[in-house]
Amino acid sequence: MLEVKGATKRFGGLLAVSGVSFSVKEGEVVGLIGPNGAGKTTLLNLICGIYKPDSGNIHFLDNEITGLASNRICRFGISRTYQIPQPFEAMTALAGVAVGVLHGKKRSHMSLADAALEASYYLEFVGLFAKRDTLARHLTLYELRMLELARALATTPRLLLLDEVMAGLNPGESSKALEMIWSAQEQFGITILWIEHIMKIIMNAAERIVVLQYGQKIAEGSPKEIAGNAKVIEAYLGGRHA
Amino acid sequence: MVSLEFKRDRLQLRWGDQKYEWEIEPRYWRNPAIGVLLLAILPLFVYSYPNILTMFTTANLYAAIAIPLGLQMIGTARVNFGPQLYLGLGGYTSALLNLHLGWSPLATLGATILACGFLALLLSPTTFIAKGLYFSLITLILPLTFLDVTFIYGDIFRGEVGLTGMSALFNLGKVRWNYLGYFYVSLLLMLLYLWVSDKIGRSRFGVTLAAINENEDVARMMGVDINRYKIFYFVFPSILTGIVGWFIVHTFRTFAGVTYLPLDFMIKILIIVIVGGRAYVYGAIPGAYLISAVEDSLRALGPINYVVFPLVLIGLVLILPRGEGLWGLYHKRHHRDYFPLFHVRR
Repeated sequence: MLEVKGATKRFGGLLAVSGVSFSVKEGEVVGLIGPNGAGKTTLLNLICGIYKPDSGNIHFLDNEITGLASNRICRFGISRTYQIPQPFEAMTALAGVAVGVLHGKKRSHMSLADAALEASYYLEFVGLFAKRDTLARHLTLYELRMLELARALATTPRLLLLDEVMAGLNPGESSKALEMIWSAQEQFGITILWIEHIMKIIMNAAERIVVLQYGQKIAEGSPKEIAGNAKVIEAYLGGRHA
Repeated sequence: MVSLEFKRDRLQLRWGDQKYEWEIEPRYWRNPAIGVLLLAILPLFVYSYPNILTMFTTANLYAAIAIPLGLQMIGTARVNFGPQLYLGLGGYTSALLNLHLGWSPLATLGATILACGFLALLLSPTTFIAKGLYFSLITLILPLTFLDVTFIYGDIFRGEVGLTGMSALFNLGKVRWNYLGYFYVSLLLMLLYLWVSDKIGRSRFGVTLAAINENEDVARMMGVDINRYKIFYFVFPSILTGIVGWFIVHTFRTFAGVTYLPLDFMIKILIIVIVGGRAYVYGAIPGAYLISAVEDSLRALGPINYVVFPLVLIGLVLILPRGEGLWGLYHKRHHRDYFPLFHVRR
């Protein structure tokens, strides 16, 4: 479904992502982990068109999407959430999701009322329907993350890129969020590429894990293989523990 | 194929896969109707004072510049400091074509639209290349450059004195009737702009504009073709501003760049937008009426008004609720809702 081949991105002298290749199959949940500054979010930004890769290419559903504008990539069916929630602060939750409904795919004749109705379905799904008329700036962190999820789902993605959805949530909230992601995958049949720092969650959730360090892929495999991989342990805990 | 349906609060027409709706519930149109009626009967009280009537006409024109500016500020997420460039371009285009080639007002209207549209299209890439202050600086400089051009090529533009003797839009016989006619035509122009902006704000495009105004990158990631939107909402308001220039030429029958192109004219418009309520197009009308009334009453003070006017403006900006302005006083309960709140019931 998604194929990244030799993706490289440089910021001045810093090699943020260097020659990373991996693929995601339809229906999979793939985890993307690595220590801080490993280039995970940069890789995500390359996939969804915020940055253009310096070399390498990215294919999605047999279309080359390397360096396309993110609105076109979104139309192919890739959607994302942000590490730091980026809501439309002065807009209500319903209006924010309606933007995704109207523009996620070509819907030139859809009226605002119809879009609001469909948006309310996604809000109901993530449990924010009661907050539909609340301005996004008045929502809590958990609600913001759920709003981001609703917004991403509203664009009818086939591949969802999750960027540390669990960061900053308490255990109760993160288990609720995890359930939400599972039911989203089940209901909408989406594939997930998931960046996460909380090992307990990602090791249970992902079927396959890709590990990055200093912009390079150091390991790939099932959670079990990754947990026993010497290189990964070294990257996370230092050489003495490997 | 075609079906007309009467719902609880709206009339719905379906045509193929298109749907048109008209709200018929009184609470949606009662206040706008009262507002329009007030504006419409206003001149009847001051019929015998042509200077006040002219002041109201000017207020309408200020509002007709401020409304598209508000739309443009939301749609491009940038503050344009130089919409008067298009006012000047529209005015000079129609004035020169009318004077030298004898084009009728209708023909010059077409030319104005074309000229403003062309220039705005040429400059529209700045809306996604330049950000924040840089965009404001670029737009700030252009009208001043144009002002210089009107001085340098004084034999064409008559920079100091302005062009005079253009043909009038209509002639009702009596001078007073003409003033009244100009007021109503300017009112119609302003209300037309308001109606168009309102329609845009209440449609799917309004929500998209709000999203662009909030966060461009996120909106783009959600599939919004930002560049196309920005080009349109840069060019379209520019054309609307240009038409005001055309209107000035064919009603006041004199047009001087010195009046409309300098910075103080622009500041007046920005103050109207701020006093009226930033990011809400309706606020432009009370704002424009207030500012032109203040300006006109201070003119009696003589030269000192150049000092007093800015002071009054600063006072107004300080006193009125921040960011909400006059419209905010009326719409106190709503936050910057430059797109309408819409509701879904369970």
